[in-house]
Parts: sequence; structure tokens; C-alpha cells
Amino acid sequence: MGTNGQNVLERRRAEALVKRPELPETFVAPAGDIYETSDAFVVKLDMPGATTEAISLNVEPGHFFVRARLGSYHGDRAAILMSEIGRKSYFREFNLGRGVNHNAVQAQFADGVLTIILPKTEESKVREIQIKS
Amino acid sequence: MLVRFGFPRMLDDLLEDVSSSDFAPVTRRFPAIDVAEYENEFVAIAEMPGIKKEDLKITFENDVLTLKGERTPYEIPQDAKVLLNEMRVREFERSLQLPSDIDAKNISAELKDGVLRVVLPKAENARARQIEIR
Repeated sequence: MGTNGQNVLERRRAEALVKRPELPETFVAPAGDIYETSDAFVVKLDMPGATTEAISLNVEPGHFFVRARLGSYHGDRAAILMSEIGRKSYFREFNLGRGVNHNAVQAQFADGVLTIILPKTEESKVREIQIKS
Repeated sequence: MLVRFGFPRMLDDLLEDVSSSDFAPVTRRFPAIDVAEYENEFVAIAEMPGIKKEDLKITFENDVLTLKGERTPYEIPQDAKVLLNEMRVREFERSLQLPSDIDAKNISAELKDGVLRVVLPKAENARARQIEIR
């Protein structure tokens, strides 16, 4: 097991090796929730207006990113009276620890919310140690 | 009393003018709304991720469209640890005054992929007419 110092360097190295995706010109980072259970990390992202087809999720060792390109809500002949949404794409990137089995990641999209389930590897699951008397 | 404006104006804008202080945190309104005008109708688009049909109530009264609802929290296992919590909105209510007479009986709404689309047809007397020159 490495010390904390080594972990930081390893992470930096992993980050340096990551291929950065080409960013869309205007994008927003979707708001998200993350929680951890005994066997997975669950990431939820608010992505209203996206569709299953428009979303791409790239998972690689060390990181993953989500992006979606969005079309306009309005027709060509629309006169826009109020614009709070604007036209935008979504992009957000997360680092992944080594404890995630990146080959078994699952995702689903419902009601404008993307849910990504990142299962933990067997080795990284918390084990309770029996104390022998 | 409601005042008719040339453009759609949010009632909560007016309230905020009165109640805002220098110390109030900047909060993003929910849901964010776009309004587009077409020849025969207005279309209001509201982004509301995580909202289901049964969580939302839409009313139209005196030219004012009101969206009211609540985002029900999703369930997480009891032993789960929360690592990030940015999805904060629970209850919301926004009102929007339309600038022209609306055919209220024919308003329709659709909620899909977290986006609400309300189509408000203009009343017959509010539609643009081409005048023939004799």
C-alpha cells in the first residue's frame, strides 16, 4: 500500500496521461449528486433537454466524462421573449479512484436525470474483520 | 393587482425588487424558463429535471401561467454516504404573465426528459390579420 504522497503523484501522472476531450463551445456543467454504497458509487446529473441518444459517457481508468450536445428548443420563426435557458451543451468530468470496476459501469436516463452506477471492485469493498477471541 | 406588461414578466421579479438585500445569496430561479412567440401561439419551455407529471401543477388564470410543484427526493440506501449534493431544489412556484389574450381552453402541456413545454394559443382577437386593401 502506498503512502499518501505517492498517491498524489500517481494521480497527477494519471491526469497527465488522460486525453482531454474536445469541449463544445458553450457548455454548462450539470449539477450533480454523488453517493457511495457498500458496493458502488452512484452519480446523478441534472441534464434536462438531453436525450439518451445525445448523451455520451466515456469511462476510462482514472476518469470519466459525460457530455451531451443539445439542439434549440425554438423553431426558426420564433420571436424569443424571454431566455433564461439559452442554447447549451453539457459537459462534466470526474476523476475515478482505482476501486471502481470501470468495465461494469451502468447508466440510465429518466426525467432529465442521468444516473451512473460505478460498481466497486471486489478488493475495494469494505470487509468486516472478525475478531477471534 | 396585476399590471399588463409589453413583455412576459415574472411576478417573482417584482417581489424580488422589494425584498432583495445586499446580503441575500444569489440563487438561480427554478425552473429556468424560455418564452417564444409564434404567429398563432406562445410556447413556454421550462427545464425541470427530476420532476414527474404527478409532481407538477399548471394553472392559467387572468393571463398568468403558474407552474407549481415539488421535486421528490430519490431514495438512497440507509448505509449510503453522500459525497456531493448539488441538487437542492425541492418546492418551486413561478408565475408568468403572457402579453396577449390567450385561448385558455386550448392550452396544452407536455413534460418530457425533464423539459416542460406549454403551448398557449393566441385568442382569435389577438392574432395578426392581414388587411385587404380595397
